[in-house]
Amino acid sequence: MDFYLGLAQVIGIHTLLGLSAWCVLHTGQVSIAQGGFFAIGAYVAGMLTSMAGWPLAPALAVGALAAGAVAVAVGFPALRVKGLMLVVATTAFAEIVRLFFFNFKWRVQTAEGLIGPDASLGFGGIRYFPSHAWSTLDVNLLIWALVGATLVVLAWLDRSRVGTLWRAVGEDELAAQSAGINLTAAKVSAFGIGGCIAGLAGGVFAHYATHIEHNNFGILLATFAIAYPIIGGLSSLAGTLLAVIFVQGVLLEGLRFIGDWRSLLFGALIVAVMLVRPSGLLQRSLGLGLGRRA
Amino acid sequence: MDSLYFLDLSQSVIDGVLFGAIYALIGIGFTLIFGVMHKINLAYAAASIGAAYLSLLVVNVFPAPAVYLVAALAGGALGWLIYLVCFRFLPLDNPMATLMSTLGMLLAIEELISHITRGMPQNFPALFASTNIEVGPYFLRGDLMFVFALGCVAMVGLLQLLKRSRLGLATRAVAEQAVAAQLCGMSVNNTNASTFVIAGFLGGTAGAMAGAAIGVLSPLMALPLTVKGLVVTVIGGLGSIPGAIVAGLLVGACENFFQFVRGVGERDIYVMLMLFVFLVFRPGGLFAAPGGRD
Amino acid sequence: MKQRHKIYGATLAAVVGLSVAAAAQAQEKTFKIYGFGAKSGVVGIFGQQSEVAMQAAAAIINKSGGVTLGDGSKAKLVVEYLDDRCNAEEGINSLRRIASQNDAVVAIGPTCSNVAEPVFGVLQKKVGDASDSGLQFPLYTDVAAKGGLASMSQWAFRNVPSEANMYKALFEWVKATHPEYQSFWGGVEKDFAHSNATYNVIKTQAGNNGLQVLGQSEWLLNDINFSNQVREMKRANADVVAISSHPFTTCGVLKEMARQNVKPKLIVGLTSSSSMETLQGCGAQAEGLLIPTSFAPVTEEAKNAAAAVQALNSKYNMDLHNAAAFENVFTLKELVEKQKVMGRPDTVQADRQKMRDGLAALKQTTGLLGKVGRTDDREAIKPFLFVQAKGGNWTVAHTPAQ
Repeated sequence: MDFYLGLAQVIGIHTLLGLSAWCVLHTGQVSIAQGGFFAIGAYVAGMLTSMAGWPLAPALAVGALAAGAVAVAVGFPALRVKGLMLVVATTAFAEIVRLFFFNFKWRVQTAEGLIGPDASLGFGGIRYFPSHAWSTLDVNLLIWALVGATLVVLAWLDRSRVGTLWRAVGEDELAAQSAGINLTAAKVSAFGIGGCIAGLAGGVFAHYATHIEHNNFGILLATFAIAYPIIGGLSSLAGTLLAVIFVQGVLLEGLRFIGDWRSLLFGALIVAVMLVRPSGLLQRSLGLGLGRRA
Repeated sequence: MDSLYFLDLSQSVIDGVLFGAIYALIGIGFTLIFGVMHKINLAYAAASIGAAYLSLLVVNVFPAPAVYLVAALAGGALGWLIYLVCFRFLPLDNPMATLMSTLGMLLAIEELISHITRGMPQNFPALFASTNIEVGPYFLRGDLMFVFALGCVAMVGLLQLLKRSRLGLATRAVAEQAVAAQLCGMSVNNTNASTFVIAGFLGGTAGAMAGAAIGVLSPLMALPLTVKGLVVTVIGGLGSIPGAIVAGLLVGACENFFQFVRGVGERDIYVMLMLFVFLVFRPGGLFAAPGGRD
Repeated sequence: MKQRHKIYGATLAAVVGLSVAAAAQAQEKTFKIYGFGAKSGVVGIFGQQSEVAMQAAAAIINKSGGVTLGDGSKAKLVVEYLDDRCNAEEGINSLRRIASQNDAVVAIGPTCSNVAEPVFGVLQKKVGDASDSGLQFPLYTDVAAKGGLASMSQWAFRNVPSEANMYKALFEWVKATHPEYQSFWGGVEKDFAHSNATYNVIKTQAGNNGLQVLGQSEWLLNDINFSNQVREMKRANADVVAISSHPFTTCGVLKEMARQNVKPKLIVGLTSSSSMETLQGCGAQAEGLLIPTSFAPVTEEAKNAAAAVQALNSKYNMDLHNAAAFENVFTLKELVEKQKVMGRPDTVQADRQKMRDGLAALKQTTGLLGKVGRTDDREAIKPFLFVQAKGGNWTVAHTPAQ
């Protein structure tokens, strides 16, 4: 039972990560930067609870806001470019964040000894959950409450004017601009909200793992982040959740019995899903019918 | 800062420029495919290294130059395979689908290499024994100069191919207007496949050259070469082959320069920042392709 | 459309069904020792070798009757090894998965230091602390060697060599046999926990033993261009050069050194690079590389153990990493018998406590090269020797007095 609860924790964290990418992808931007915001949230929240003794909720909130703020700051210059160039720009940003934490050293003396980010040796001792006697069920309830809240907020945004603006920008930027929509505001707001959610996910991850280091936040994590909404289908929030359950639950955990062929199958399965259903598992057929074969 | 410092600094930059020839070769392949299909093949660098591994199969049978030829042929075959699996059957108007499918392919190739070689680095035969050419106080690596020369030959050859041959004409026609080209009797599939095969020849050679320059092959090389290749492609200008060469040398030089001045922990931060600056102020890259597409 | 959905549903059900079926085992009195570590990916060879070593040890134990449980009955020893792909999340998942099995009493692992740190972090820190909801499961590590990790939890025990001791002895021996060596230059792979942490140890010990530390060159795990670093090395012209990195970059650096004609009098390597990988990648350039290690087939026990692994699966051999896994299985078997572990589903938590207490009480275990001591913070003091690369093989250079 404990194992399934643990797995549910991982699925929850990855769902938040996927939802953060969903926001950005919804406006037609492909961003590999979600891993960077994840890292910022993780380090900030981790530092606040383990070094400054903050309670969990404010620490997570500040982590999310910090990530969101950086997202907005980065969004303005980055979102001037489109398409592949944005992919490369966001990859560059994510690498800059990762390398920043690779070099970042700040340790303080606490009751449990020297704690803090130690450059390339990582940041350990983030033991808020165990030392406050949180069970795996408690942690799960927290994570899924956050996931639920995020889904509700995003669904509401989607249905509101903001969602319409995002979708308009995502479908056709020129038309949206001609209709008087402020492109920058739409794109940066999506980027910022996505950054917040990723920061939240990162904060929770830091407490789940108790030890984080720069290698956790590489390009692979960022590609997982965008893989979930793309595989799940961009028109549906539930699709992202389904994709995370599929990848983490079925692919990674469920296929353990095939041993070390599992990693191989992962890449092959992504290719297979794209071949069979390129617009995502739960994408409503928008009847675009203009798709020509390559 | 004595004269020795400046001597080492300039030698470092020279080394970087020479090593950048490898980045240039990989960049040419990326940019060629982008120029034709307006899609990025994320699996390109992995396939190049895969081709180098395949050429190791004949290393005890054939003399050294033949090994590189085998790598090129293997690269072409892998290129065709990637086209077939990741591009042929996917809808043209969905750029994210091919992004994901080539990403899945990259992961699959990397895992396959790890699996077959059990993660052990493989010795790769050097191009020439030890050819250090002395020019005054500086040492120039002869084998890297050969790679650079190869890159220039490839550039000239490809430009001639694109401008003068029927295949080049077909490639440009299909890139501009696939439907019209089809109406003129050109097979879109065959043309695109040929582009991938040609890029694959180049990639296989690049992979073999990288292996020869370093001396060992490892699956660890795939992801960094992919990122560098993308950076080079973007800085050089998407679709511009001369741009890829210049950018490759520039990136190589800057890497070594920043490493010399600021150390290995911060090196990539500056390279990425440089990329950022390019994207913000000159998004078309050094040699923007005609039409300045994104 | 509906057809497709049916196919998806069927495939999903099949995959889930297969995993459940695979879990059902034939009924037999067995006692399971779990392991987890990296079985796939670039470092997959480590986990695979550990698994084979554990299976070889279990086979030897089973041939002489198996393990005696607390109620006097004999059980066959079975090994189950989970793959964590050297990834922190999967490491924690694997541990939770193991801990949720009612036949899991102890586990050997993990392989990677960057997995060990999070995994030890989720364990209960102090035994009996009711306010700590950490996992209460004993771990006996075979490979992850970053210094000082076992002190993170009283449920964590390690059978990995103390690099501080080994490099201290190595540099003392170098000073004794070559007092003319004056200077030292280091090379370190900065972005991997193990190589980075061990380099600090190497640097300190070199300095303590009469070598002037002139400086260091740094690179990253998947760097491919070492011209700057080797040039610095060349300028320093030190007598002794240490390279603290894994086989890929070690080979890259050694080849660049050959290109730039840098020939120090002695090259010292990282413990985990004393394996076939380094010799496979750059045997010619690695000639003379001196590395301290906690395993070489120099005793009867070591030779037999290595033969047992090869006999089980000729693709694998024994090195310092899976030798520890092999030793651990025997140590755990003795503990099961000494602590009278019952091995029943209803005694699982009590059994885990017994195993932990048993491991904590151990002051000494039997290793393949001799007796293995224990420190206060649950680390091991293993006998070691120095090997040197000669002609494409690792030969014993010196066996220091322990």
